[in-house]
Formats: sequence, structure tokens, C-alpha cells
Amino acid sequence: MASPQLPNYLLSNRKRLALSQGDVAFLVGHKSASKVCRHERFSRDPGFETALAFEVIFQTQIRELFAGLYQEIENEVAARARILATRPEQKKPNWRTSHRRQTLASIGALGSKDTLS
Amino acid sequence: MKLDSKKYDRILGIAPSSRGFGYALLEKEKLANWGSSSASKDKNTKCVMRVEELILHFEPEVMVLEDTGAEGSRRHQRIQELSQRLLALGVSHEIPVAWFSREQVMQFFFRNGKGTKQDVAQHIGEQFPEDLEMMVPPKRRTWMNEDYRMDIFDAVALAFMFREAVHGQDQSPKRIGA
Repeated sequence: MASPQLPNYLLSNRKRLALSQGDVAFLVGHKSASKVCRHERFSRDPGFETALAFEVIFQTQIRELFAGLYQEIENEVAARARILATRPEQKKPNWRTSHRRQTLASIGALGSKDTLS
Repeated sequence: MKLDSKKYDRILGIAPSSRGFGYALLEKEKLANWGSSSASKDKNTKCVMRVEELILHFEPEVMVLEDTGAEGSRRHQRIQELSQRLLALGVSHEIPVAWFSREQVMQFFFRNGKGTKQDVAQHIGEQFPEDLEMMVPPKRRTWMNEDYRMDIFDAVALAFMFREAVHGQDQSPKRIGA
């Protein structure tokens, strides 16, 4: 079954701005367009600096540019937060543990609930 | 058949032409990809291979084609054969395939069912201004060949029409003409 969103939307954003892969590679600082091609074909995820460069070029937030990847990571983090929330507290209950519990609950509520659980 | 609107969030429109084909991937309200592919010599085989690449890459939930076998269709025999092969391709990848005849497309976009591909392209350009407005081809004169970009607009029109039909918005469509 198809995933809800594509891993990234670099291709559509590049086409929208009428840029070539070579143009984007130059703007990002790559020597050739092949890496951009691999990112667009979902065969390679970019590094953090490259992802930020894409945000600058396309004027779109990273979470929107890499919507599918973001969703995947969000689900995984949320699942871990739910696991962490079930672990017994090491310290006596106080304002900090209460706040921590609320934080984990809100993170755990993100994304779909079928990962790691 | 009543189609489930939630099931088809990623729609691949394919519009075969004399050059090759145009394609458009509609994801919910947005265009996720669009383009055209040209082929020479064994055109149908090359087109089928490229469409298969698109299917494998984008994993569409439904493929929309022109019904080239519809009554009154004047599409070339090769295009009709290509459509059949694309249908078989969709079936082999377990992707539902929807068909719209040219007449249905024109009835969808125009109140009186009469219009030109140029008018459809302009309407599509208005629907997706950020993506396609700049790409609307200039009006074709009698001595000009059809612009290659028209394949893209044909494909978007098919995907767009399917989305509107499935989402039940065709009750009040933004149709062109009086």
C-alpha cells in the first residue's frame, strides 16, 4: 500500500521554480547534479546542511519538503515517547516529573500509533 | 461504481500522445509531479516502461487514462493499443484504472460540452497557478504543431477530473462558459 505522503517533494518544488538539477546542485554546493537526482528519486536522504540549503532555495519548511520522512520520524519518536511514559518514575513526584509526564504524553499523541508499539 | 474518496489521495493521470505521453501526479490538493516523456521507434514499449517507472516510484493509488476506445474517439490505433497496455500494466500492479472519454472531459470542463484543449489548459493553469500557469502553451495557430506541454495539461485534466468526480465536488463544478 502507498504511504500517505511521498518521502520528499524536492522534484515538484524544483519544477515549480523552473530550476535544473544542475542549478540546484550548484546552489547547494554539490559538484554535480547526481546527488540532487538521488535525493529526488528517494534513493538517498540529504545531510542536515543540504536539507537546510533546500529550505533556503525552495522557501519551504524542511518538514514540508520532506513530508514523508518527517511523518516517519514523527511516528517513531511518538512511539518512543509512549514507551518512555510507561517506565516507572525514578524520582519522587514533584512539579518537574509532572511536567515531564505531560511532555511525553503530548509527544506520544503525535503521528499514527502503529509504530514500535 | 462508487469510489471511496479517502482511498485515492494519490492520482496518476497519463495522457498518451503522438510524441510519447504526459503525466501528472495529484496528491490531495497539490500537484506532486508533472511532466512529459517522449519516445522514438518502439514508442509503446518505451512508454509502458516509463509509466511503470512512475508507478514504482510514486506508488499511485489510482491511474486515470483517456478512454481511447470510446465511441467517436479518433485516436490513432497505436494510442489505442498503448492505452490497453497501460490498462494491463495497472492491473498487473494492482492499481485501479479509471477511464474518461474526451467527450466526458469536455462535458466536465464546459457547460455546453464544447471547448478546446487550449481552454482546458488555461483552466488547469488557473487551478494550479504556482505550478502550471507559466507553462500554459500559447494559442496554437493552424501552421503550428501541438505544443509538447499540452500533454501535461491533458494528464492534469484527467487526474483533476477524477479527483473532483470522486470527491463529489462535480455537483457544482467551476465550468467554463455560460
